[in-house]
Amino acid sequence: MEGLAFKQSAPLTLGVELELQLVNTRDCDLTRAASDLLALTEGTPHAGDIKPEITESMIEVSTSVHSRHEALAAELRGLRDAVLAAADRLNVLVTGGGAHPFQHWSERQIFDKPRFKLLSDLYGYLAKQFTVFGQHIHVGCPDGDDALYLLHALSRYVPHFIALAGSSPYYQGVDTAFDSARLNSVSAFPLSGRAPLLLRWSDFNGYFAHMREMGIVASMKDFYWDIRPKPEYGTIEMRVCDTPLTVDRAAALAAYAQALGRYLLVERVHPLNEDSYLPYGYNRYQACRFGLEGELIDPATRAKRSIGEDILATLEAVAVHARELEGEGGLAALAECVRGPGNDARWMRESYARSRSLPDLVYRQAQRWRGAAR
Amino acid sequence: MGELFFLPSWPMRVDDLQWLALLLLAAVIAGEAGHRWLGVPRLLGWIAAGVALGPDVAGLIDRDMVADQYWLLEIAIGVVLFELGQRVDLGWLRRNTWLGGASILESGCAFLVIFAVLWLLGAPALVAATAGAIGIATSPAVVLTLARDLRAQGQVTERVLLLTALNSIYAVVLVSMLIAWLHAEYRGGWLVVAAHPIYLIFGSAALGAAFAAALLAALTLLGNRVEAQFLCAVAFVLVAVSLSAALNLSTVLALLAFGTCARAFDRGRRFVSLEFGRLGRILVMLLFALSAAGLELQLIPQGLLAGVALVVARYLGKTLGLLATAGVSGLAPGKAALVSLGLMPMSAVALILVHETSSLFPEFGPALATVVVSALAILEVAGPLAAQLALKRAGETAEQR
Repeated sequence: MEGLAFKQSAPLTLGVELELQLVNTRDCDLTRAASDLLALTEGTPHAGDIKPEITESMIEVSTSVHSRHEALAAELRGLRDAVLAAADRLNVLVTGGGAHPFQHWSERQIFDKPRFKLLSDLYGYLAKQFTVFGQHIHVGCPDGDDALYLLHALSRYVPHFIALAGSSPYYQGVDTAFDSARLNSVSAFPLSGRAPLLLRWSDFNGYFAHMREMGIVASMKDFYWDIRPKPEYGTIEMRVCDTPLTVDRAAALAAYAQALGRYLLVERVHPLNEDSYLPYGYNRYQACRFGLEGELIDPATRAKRSIGEDILATLEAVAVHARELEGEGGLAALAECVRGPGNDARWMRESYARSRSLPDLVYRQAQRWRGAAR
Repeated sequence: MGELFFLPSWPMRVDDLQWLALLLLAAVIAGEAGHRWLGVPRLLGWIAAGVALGPDVAGLIDRDMVADQYWLLEIAIGVVLFELGQRVDLGWLRRNTWLGGASILESGCAFLVIFAVLWLLGAPALVAATAGAIGIATSPAVVLTLARDLRAQGQVTERVLLLTALNSIYAVVLVSMLIAWLHAEYRGGWLVVAAHPIYLIFGSAALGAAFAAALLAALTLLGNRVEAQFLCAVAFVLVAVSLSAALNLSTVLALLAFGTCARAFDRGRRFVSLEFGRLGRILVMLLFALSAAGLELQLIPQGLLAGVALVVARYLGKTLGLLATAGVSGLAPGKAALVSLGLMPMSAVALILVHETSSLFPEFGPALATVVVSALAILEVAGPLAAQLALKRAGETAEQR
């Protein structure tokens, strides 16, 4: 069986995919609107792509390949506006957020596409429960070996992305006490977790060939790892982020991933072995549960500090690379968020504390997504 | 036997309540049976129960009893209209102006086609016009009940509900204006022509808005307890129904305005889904069953041709209007045709309007009643079936579990 070829791609380019919630204006619950929305957006010209996702209340927007943060942010704004224009005609609200605060997953309807029907059959209720909304960040890599190095080196920083993007504190009408309850849904899938520690593309190909021969997977898409390689694009794909409440935050996270990628590939500071994965599960959980206040254990030094502090230190360390890539604006925004108002989950809890109404929270999320005043 | 005073007398005294209870039971059974064995909407079973127990078949419930329980029908209609009004999003009409255009066109075309067809068939112009005005309205009770039962969600559902709310308003306004014109023709007072519809429209809207503000204030006072909120809302709806009748305003308009304003004024989105649940369901069941019992089926053979003509004309008019505005309002033509099917049910409101005009104008009331009742009878069965088909074809109903 021929192996997976890793496509040659310009290093450190960026692509972002965002999964968005479609809610009705009456009670702000998730609603069936994807097919009608897509019918409208197909007619209008826009950069990037608008695609269906597994349930009818989800829609996915994805950008084209970018090398600069500003251009990526501009395209995301364009996509946001295209979707909103169609949604307004259909009386549907669009919002970010990692999960809908009070929807009942059993009411969701699977989008009528063969792959989704297949997933629904295979995963049973997990498919409908997977009505969670995430941001996927693609970072271009020059070759397969570099991609694997970056994949494993980035794992140490996964808690940063989880904490910065955390926007799913409410689930099924209850405050889960997590900043990101979404990742619990992902963990339920059998092929979730992390890629095996293989640093050569040929070794990885061997592993993939075994899995395919056994019939466990058919393609890379069947792995639900936190970071997974995407050989067809020549990228690695980070899948841990909740969809932020604004496109600007999404672009900033992508800029951070890009600067971090350059830092890791150029400076190669981290040795990679199984020991570096010892605190992975713990750190990841701390990020999901406590967000920026969670505890992070550095696998190299075994030192402990808060995720927020670790982020600020890392932002310092990658600053020179960010400047080279013209992404300082995004990183500055993230630094400000860590020092000041905190992540989206905190904003959501504060908003709910004021209004005591989850439908109102969803409405305000939608207004924030639109770019209207807080 | 004087000593056995405790035994009941014979024949047994049966009062209205027992017949209502029997009707309710028959409706429940017929509804479930129809749904399970024939796959038809439950409300068809409720209607069948009403017809079966009504004066034209079993004769257990006579027309006087239906007239006596008219207050019950009014409450049921009030509850339905309030809920429908809540589903009207004025913001949507602002954001998608062609949707308002679609609404006016579907009603306008329906009116014109009905008028033309009936007039060509020889009906007097006035009867054709009033039948046209009445034919604009879709049954709020049917579409709301179907949307609930099928747990329908999506563009076709939302548009059917919105257009129903709007066309019920047009029908009431138009009929009231025709009545005003009739007043001029038959009674000779031109002031009435102008003042009557103005009083009706603005008075009803003002009543609705005032009640909405009062309800929200009361709900805020009551806090977060759901049962208290529900009872409060029910009480307000009852008062609104009786007050609008007492003030000679339009119950339909007032309650729709009440629901719409209740939603619009609730800036904090705290009372977003005030639904009447089980109580509403009982009321709606009785609404369908009693109004079916009140249908004067003997009029049907006489008005069958005109009735069929009205039904077909109505469908053509609405479809025309919706197809013309499909693209510009953001809907595929196929879905626009489904919306038109969804607007087919014609029911309770029409009955009220016929009732009102017949009582005011016995001169042409019977001719109007014949046409409308025949059409109503056809659409009592065809309407819900068409609407259910539309929602299912649009793929907007919950999957079979």
